[in-house]
Amino acid sequence: MDVYPRILSRIWGVPGSHTLAVAEQHGAYNAARKALAMSPAEVTDVVLKSGLRGRGGAGFPTGRKWTFVPPPEKRGGKPVYLLCNADESEPGTFKDRFCMWNDPHQLIEGMIIASHALGVRRAYIYLRGEFEYVQRRLDEALAEAYAKGYLGENIFGSGFSFDLYTHLGAGAYICGEETALISSIEGYKGQPRLKPPFPAVKGVWESPTIVNNVETLAAVPWIIENGWEAYKAIGTEQSPGTKLFSCSGHIMKPGVYEIPLGTPMMDLLNKWCGGLRPGRTLKAIIPGGSSVPVMTPAEVAQANMDYESINKVAGSYLGSGGFIVMDDTTDMVDALTNLLRFYAHESCGQCTPCREGSAWMYNILCRLRDGLATEDDLVALRDLADNIHSRTICFFGASAAMPVQSFVTKFRDEFVARVESARAGLPAGLAVAK
Amino acid sequence: MPLVKVNGIAVEVPPGTNMIEAAKKVGVEIPHYCYHPHLSVAGNCRMCLVDVEAGGRGPDIACNMAATEGLAIRTDTPKVTQMRKSVMEFLLVNHPLDCPICDQSGECRLQDYYMEYGQHDSRLADAKMGKGKRQDIGDQIVLDAERCVQCSRCVRFSDEVTGTGELRLFNRSNQTQIGIFPGVRLSHQYQGNLADICPVGALTLKDFRFKKRVWWLKESESVCGGCATGCNILVHHQENEVYRFTPRRNDEVNKSWICDQGRLSYKDVTSLKRLTGAKVDGQRAELPEAANAAALLLKGAKVGVVFGAKATTEANWAAVKLVRARLPNARAYVIEGNDPDAFTYQDEILVDSDKTPNRFGAALTASQLGSVGDAEALKAALASGEVDALLVLHDDVVGRLGVATPKALVYVGTFKNATSSAAAVVLPAAHYIEQPGTWINRQGRVQRLRKTVAPAGDSVADYAAVDAIGRAFGGAVIPEMPAAIFQELAAGVKALNGLTLKGLGHGGQLITLFAPSPGVDQPGQAAPAK
Repeated sequence: MDVYPRILSRIWGVPGSHTLAVAEQHGAYNAARKALAMSPAEVTDVVLKSGLRGRGGAGFPTGRKWTFVPPPEKRGGKPVYLLCNADESEPGTFKDRFCMWNDPHQLIEGMIIASHALGVRRAYIYLRGEFEYVQRRLDEALAEAYAKGYLGENIFGSGFSFDLYTHLGAGAYICGEETALISSIEGYKGQPRLKPPFPAVKGVWESPTIVNNVETLAAVPWIIENGWEAYKAIGTEQSPGTKLFSCSGHIMKPGVYEIPLGTPMMDLLNKWCGGLRPGRTLKAIIPGGSSVPVMTPAEVAQANMDYESINKVAGSYLGSGGFIVMDDTTDMVDALTNLLRFYAHESCGQCTPCREGSAWMYNILCRLRDGLATEDDLVALRDLADNIHSRTICFFGASAAMPVQSFVTKFRDEFVARVESARAGLPAGLAVAK
Repeated sequence: MPLVKVNGIAVEVPPGTNMIEAAKKVGVEIPHYCYHPHLSVAGNCRMCLVDVEAGGRGPDIACNMAATEGLAIRTDTPKVTQMRKSVMEFLLVNHPLDCPICDQSGECRLQDYYMEYGQHDSRLADAKMGKGKRQDIGDQIVLDAERCVQCSRCVRFSDEVTGTGELRLFNRSNQTQIGIFPGVRLSHQYQGNLADICPVGALTLKDFRFKKRVWWLKESESVCGGCATGCNILVHHQENEVYRFTPRRNDEVNKSWICDQGRLSYKDVTSLKRLTGAKVDGQRAELPEAANAAALLLKGAKVGVVFGAKATTEANWAAVKLVRARLPNARAYVIEGNDPDAFTYQDEILVDSDKTPNRFGAALTASQLGSVGDAEALKAALASGEVDALLVLHDDVVGRLGVATPKALVYVGTFKNATSSAAAVVLPAAHYIEQPGTWINRQGRVQRLRKTVAPAGDSVADYAAVDAIGRAFGGAVIPEMPAAIFQELAAGVKALNGLTLKGLGHGGQLITLFAPSPGVDQPGQAAPAK
């Protein structure tokens, strides 16, 4: 393993890393002091030049997103809000939880810096409903920071005042979509909104709003402290920096690993994750959380863990970095059925194709799994996925469609075999002898 | 104004116009369920997906696409055809297809769009979702959640128009279900509109359920006579029987709405309170006979003519002509206020406190005779004997004044009331949907009535009833054809100068109001458009 700075997981594992005392021993809030001495434009400029990209899944350049906030004279007197998206719900993704659990002050510091850059007076950390225990830890960290004057009025004597709150959702995957998050925090049913208007122009409480992922904001202090050049030196040209990967599935060492972007996928699998279980061969990897297209071993061998390579090699996405490994014991029909159960349950129910289609696809898959489906069902399954993808208000429709499209294309034999065994009257799971 | 293109046809539209409306301008229909011109954009049905040629990224929904210079969309590509078909497939997958017993059948967008864009065979091999059927959610409305396509129009109507917010889409995914909050019932005055805007059969009007297949019904334009707002309506009828009123879109008057009181007022057409035959001294008579009796009563008497705020402007004009030709000494009156049996509800949405549809029409015509008296003036004149005979158009003068009226009372009206009971001669006037004519609403908008069904019994158009009296005196006072009467009226009344009946169009014409106060024939302030 190459030597590289650990940016996000720097103090993870240090006893008491979540406390302000320990965090400060490791340099917490130095970056905030430095940033508050800079002008907001300078801070944004550093983040822009660092090439930091959104870690929630879409990989949109963070600095550019920040520049979308209208100038004060075009805000109609409305304040700017910063929302931290901690609704980490993508199956296979659990890195934000580690961030907040092990080093809450890093996130708080990142939000102070971002808020200074954006001119934000009040910001919120929106947590998924299941993160109630994380909220408690964050609230403790906030209390410590308030007690020391790192939050509240006139932080570090800079004249900048800033309040930060946590907000617990009710536990819906869709609330990780930024406009649904906004609806939820306003007290409405968590459902995505139409764009335009975009949140940067008209977001929460009809005010300009920036929504950033936990990991994105947590990377900001290091960038400020060490400079954009240092950050840009890590990773690849278009995907700079390090990223957390939540590694799960049939591997020897599941966990969250911070690696430089551009690391070969096989290295992540073999060096960090400890490889497959003994005697097993690789069948498939979902590289970026359950919604991105699955990759075959041949694709895995060529791909690097960055935004461009995965897309170029396999038409898939780095997403949120949920690295799900499946070995040769995996039944791909079962695996896909399990995934679709999640999407059929979590569709917000607004748009016709996603509302009706995700459950319909799940029903077909259940029959396929149980040996009750026909060739027509297989055709319909693929059609439905195509008819959902990109035809909905938010990206959820595509998220439900992409696993189906990729599984039935790349592992077609297994799906066809299920249909054939059903036709031959064999019990579910038994294949027709070739 | 930005120039946009729909299927290659260029059209200029105001900035911000959505592309469904822009396409409509060039005659291209973009199918939709959730979009409604008078509600906010929800963008959830996905039926209006179109291809974007230039000026944006596509495919995208036309309802949320604001016209900007250079924007070009196409609705005629194979891709759009395929998208519409797939949305139809999704919408129908959990729909019960109970069209044979559904009242929406025949005016259902699921049916229409299936025939136009779907035409697919069902691929569903699983059980359909079952949802709550025939739920009694309000005084006027029955909800069938299974038929719902979750377009949220009703939710937005109750949030944005009535502000009552009783309805919601509950749950999520394919379990999403339209419903009403527990313990809540629809109780506002605009429930019927929910059935109108529901593109499918999920919300149906109790009054219309299982009554008539809509394809038998003919639709004729008219205007509601319930209050001074003058909501535009469609009268749905078959073989001379009226089955319902529905609102007719007029953005300047009632948008796409009507109150329930007005909607259900179609029942008045066949009400037992209708005056269906002429009467002389309480005895049934033929119309000419009654007209003769009326002429005899009025001839040489000290006549007061009460112009009718519920009568057509034409009938009031006929009264002006009658006075000028045969009763030169008659005095003109307009009695303010509502009839005692008028409903009392009013609000800021549509329902006006003034329950007469043509107060301005009555005032404008009456003022042609010089000074116009009010209720107090009439009371005084009756008490002093300066007036000893009355000709009353529609208004329940006896009910409104609450004083005894002379025995020589001629009443031209549609419904029985205290005045018709007191009258020596009654001439039955047609219901307003049974006759042509015009009304001038609270904004000063001249709106056109049409004969949608034949008048009940012996009743005739109200202006014809007045004219019958004129004929009894020795000759017609007004022409026979509505357009010709209006032509005379428009020439004779300054505020109406230059208007023609045809020129009123479907939406009516706003006039500069001359003060409706009695006796003044000079430009006044236009009534504030509500």
